[in-house]
Amino acid sequence: MASSDLLHSPLDSEHRALGARMAEFGGWEMPIQYSGVLEEHRSCRTDAVVFDVSHLGSLRVFGPQAKRVLQQTFTNDLERIGPSKAQYTHLLDSDDGHVVDDVIIWWVDDDEFLVMPNASNTDQLIASFSPVDGCEVQDITSTRAVLAVQGPAAATRLKGIFVDNEYPTKFTVVPFSFSGHEGFAAGTGYTGEDGLELHVPLAAVHDLWQSLLAAGVTPAGLGARDTLRLEAGLPLHGFELGPGITPLQAGFGWVVRPEKGEFLGRTPYLAELASGPERRLRGLVVNGRQIPRHGCPINLAGSTVGEVTSGNFSPMLNCGIALGFLPPEIVDGSPVEIGIRDRFVEATVVKPPFVSSKSI
Amino acid sequence: MDYPEELLYSQEHEWVSVDGNRARVGITDFAQDALGDVVYVEMPELGATVSANVSCAEVESTKAVSDVYSPVSGTVSAINDGLTNTPERLNQDPYQEGWIYEVEMSDLSELDAMMDASAYRAFSEGES
Repeated sequence: MASSDLLHSPLDSEHRALGARMAEFGGWEMPIQYSGVLEEHRSCRTDAVVFDVSHLGSLRVFGPQAKRVLQQTFTNDLERIGPSKAQYTHLLDSDDGHVVDDVIIWWVDDDEFLVMPNASNTDQLIASFSPVDGCEVQDITSTRAVLAVQGPAAATRLKGIFVDNEYPTKFTVVPFSFSGHEGFAAGTGYTGEDGLELHVPLAAVHDLWQSLLAAGVTPAGLGARDTLRLEAGLPLHGFELGPGITPLQAGFGWVVRPEKGEFLGRTPYLAELASGPERRLRGLVVNGRQIPRHGCPINLAGSTVGEVTSGNFSPMLNCGIALGFLPPEIVDGSPVEIGIRDRFVEATVVKPPFVSSKSI
Repeated sequence: MDYPEELLYSQEHEWVSVDGNRARVGITDFAQDALGDVVYVEMPELGATVSANVSCAEVESTKAVSDVYSPVSGTVSAINDGLTNTPERLNQDPYQEGWIYEVEMSDLSELDAMMDASAYRAFSEGES
């Protein structure tokens, strides 16, 4: 894709001014790193960083029937939360039950929700809502920016910015006012650390970005976001979730609530629940610094039993780590070998997360 | 970007420092910058025979793995053990602390095909 065809964050010039290395992600040109992946990663584990995640989609779903439509579309049950809460949920394919997208829903007001899909899935997600009277769906992605502030020092660093705002606890959504502009803050993220995500109108984001940097929050790119989510054992759409992969295989049975009634993909989900998934997503810790990558075979006693979905170097453990699918009967602690290019390296099957902060 | 005058450079972004028959090999500042944070280096074995333009080592960053193509043929006479546990030296100091291996060269004429600093600067800046 030519650079001119890519979408750009409202903070594009701020990123370039900081010397960020830019790369394509989900149709957007976004910062991959500023100072370096390892340094940004460690800043998030020890202090606080900010990611520009404006490439995520934002759909405003509102009206008296909005909740009913969301209940019939996604797998999780909004009755388990309520207004001012956020919920992680899946959209399943109605035929084979694979995970079409994993999204977070912010329940911002009684009849109003913000649904945030992965960048590349926004249009597909809109298409999956059945049109009904009393529920409108608006793509507001181009009207706002989303910043994720993550790390154990996030609350301390954000004190000044939150003087007149309520600070959201985990999975809580609150109004967020900044220099006269109204947005939302939610206690959500993708790093395994404490922190929040800020959803603000375009007019507010430049000043907000500068205020965050002035408060000592380190800018971090999508490179560190990927190593952080991997250490936290969190799935990335297109690797751990996507075509051919169901919630049960990926270990997300807990976000599927068939007892609530009908939703897309309920039938194939129940069929797989009855038979049991053929494979399960597991963690792999390499005995060394080699990095297993997507597609590397996983061998047990000389025969291939699975495949790596994604892997990288763990900056906190100083070794290679990966997620991959294995038959369900293989227990934690099993020694396996991962084929990396022309050789096999020793690894151990573990239950993610690889790195646990108090909040994971 | 740093291009020391005293070194020779390959099109695969390795550098060579020559001392008699012995060549010390590493990757250039340009290469380490393009790779990003290096987290693993797969070394050639001591005593192994390496051939010019054939991969004999690997440098892996959080982003990607990259082959190191030996710029010269010969026998590996030393490897930089320090990179095993501190591969970040390759980013911090690619021309000194970040050297990868040394070769007892079998064909000094192979050096003639390599670039000097100004030619390599023009070559790498044309690529970026």
